[in-house]
Amino acid sequence: MSDETTTPQPQSAALANDTMINHALKNEPSLAAEELFTVEGHSEETQYASFWVGAWRRFRRNRLAMFGLVFATIIILIAIFVPMLTPYEYDQIDMPAALQPPSHEHILGTDELGRDLLTRILYGSRPMLMVGVLTGLAGLCIGVPIGVLAGYLGGFFDWIVTRLIDMFSALPWYLIVLYLVMVLSPSLQNLMLAMIITGWVGSCRMMRGLTFSIREQDYIEAARALGIPTWRIIAFHILPQAAPLLLWGFAAGIPTSVFAEAGLSFLGMGIRPPRPSWGQMLADSEFYWQFWPHMFIFPSMMITTSVLAFQGIADGLRKALDVSENI
Amino acid sequence: MLAYTLKRLGGILITLLLLSFFTFMLSRVVPGGPWMQGAEIPMSDQQVAAFKEKYGLDEPPWKQYLLWLRNAAKLDFGRTFTEPERTVTELIRDTLPFSALVGGLAATLAITFGVTLGVIAAAHQDTWTDNIATSYAVIIGTIPSFVLGFVMKYFLAAELRWFPAGSWGDPSNWRDVAWHLILPVVAFGLPATGSVARWTRQCVAEAMSSDYVRTAKAKGLRNTAVMTKHVLRNALIPMITSFLPLYPGMMTGSLFIEKVFGLPGLGKYFVYASTNRDYPLVLGITMFWAILIGLTYFLTDVLYGVIDPRVRITERQQ
Repeated sequence: MSDETTTPQPQSAALANDTMINHALKNEPSLAAEELFTVEGHSEETQYASFWVGAWRRFRRNRLAMFGLVFATIIILIAIFVPMLTPYEYDQIDMPAALQPPSHEHILGTDELGRDLLTRILYGSRPMLMVGVLTGLAGLCIGVPIGVLAGYLGGFFDWIVTRLIDMFSALPWYLIVLYLVMVLSPSLQNLMLAMIITGWVGSCRMMRGLTFSIREQDYIEAARALGIPTWRIIAFHILPQAAPLLLWGFAAGIPTSVFAEAGLSFLGMGIRPPRPSWGQMLADSEFYWQFWPHMFIFPSMMITTSVLAFQGIADGLRKALDVSENI
Repeated sequence: MLAYTLKRLGGILITLLLLSFFTFMLSRVVPGGPWMQGAEIPMSDQQVAAFKEKYGLDEPPWKQYLLWLRNAAKLDFGRTFTEPERTVTELIRDTLPFSALVGGLAATLAITFGVTLGVIAAAHQDTWTDNIATSYAVIIGTIPSFVLGFVMKYFLAAELRWFPAGSWGDPSNWRDVAWHLILPVVAFGLPATGSVARWTRQCVAEAMSSDYVRTAKAKGLRNTAVMTKHVLRNALIPMITSFLPLYPGMMTGSLFIEKVFGLPGLGKYFVYASTNRDYPLVLGITMFWAILIGLTYFLTDVLYGVIDPRVRITERQQ
């Protein structure tokens, strides 16, 4: 599919970190420029005006990634402007028109209560984006500071954070999310809360590992010897290096969250009716799918296309930013 | 090696203790309970009090936790709220085989098919074979199993009538059960082939680009010998460690596919217990899965140490 996938991936974790840092160093802003020249790992790719311009050029060449970007843009616009796009309401019941196949009036047909399926599908983009994108951002806001502090400070704080990470990794995330949603009682807000509670772990683990290895570099020691305060070292020396990795980590979390929202709503543990979600619409077709297949086919298509689109963006970013997958 | 094993086991035990503590406390501290959940006839205060007394919910939470922990150590997770005639342990014992069968078969399908695909893709790097295999892996990996299940159920069961659309069939007749299992297992296993194939391709490609493979080729070994004796043997190590946990992972994950096909497995009861706030059942199932997954990771770690001597050496150096 692309030339980047064929580059040999280093075997040991330490090696993986080394190459990752070298990649990260390429986009280090001029602040730490002096230290940078002593670090090996500069290649021909530095001929680009900047790392990000080069990354964008590589990203643009990836067709699946560009499809994902276009799809994501459209779906975000739909989620914002949906009340203007459709003459129906998502909870407008019209029993005489129940269970109609696609027609001129109802482009995608109607459900068992006569609600317009297209309207409900368009509204379904809202919980998808809220859980998919917003919880990921919130998870970053919690996970990154904790991870950086644990990696930088070490000691007891690091021990506690490691235990917490272990605890959250002891079960598949959907079991923990399901458990939390049950305790908090099912709703979209609580699903988002549960996703944030489990979602910070990934970025925290990533940042902890990265900070841990950067901390040992000579130029950090030099900065410390110069008396630069810890917060400045973290903000100007560690975080900029983590930016590509974090961007990819954020993008890679979206497909999982989209899946989570659809899956938990499908199990009846997500959004509450009458507000629609694609997963819930799929579950609603339980008694009708055999004779009114439009009721499950369109939500299925939306779930699959969204997951594929966001996965495409994540894969495209991984290749464009050249981050190693096994960190 | 013994110290390493004990250290891993200790770590898993600490994790399990922490997990059980937090899940238990959360269920006791957050207000609300099964007596509040959408009951048609709300319970009176006396009924709630009697219910709490029966299940020991009137004790302070830390006391309840210690009692629960003592019983849980003997794998006794108490009685369920929704089916008081069965204990949680009995319910797990009765329903686990269904989930284990669906999840285990799906994981086997995913691994066999995914590994084959990944090896083929890696052996033909940057050809159209590789492109097709990689594209397939990306696309199939993004289809949620419950969506694929619905689509297969509609086309293969309802339209073409090749397979039954759901349920378990007659448990005494293994042919009937197998017949009913085909759709759920394929719908569940196929999406997982994506990540398996991608990881296999990466591991094999990595092994193929290493120096010892170049040496083997330079010695004049035939391609098949290089692939089987040098590449696959080395690629197998990272592959085993990521594919063994797939088994408990797919068993827990079968709750989605069980709902699509109406299978009476543990996942179905987990969802049922969650919607009814059946705390002992949910806690019991959660801890059961955590123990199973923890044991699998432990086994994988030990196995890794046995297969790959490098692990033991780095462990000693640290």
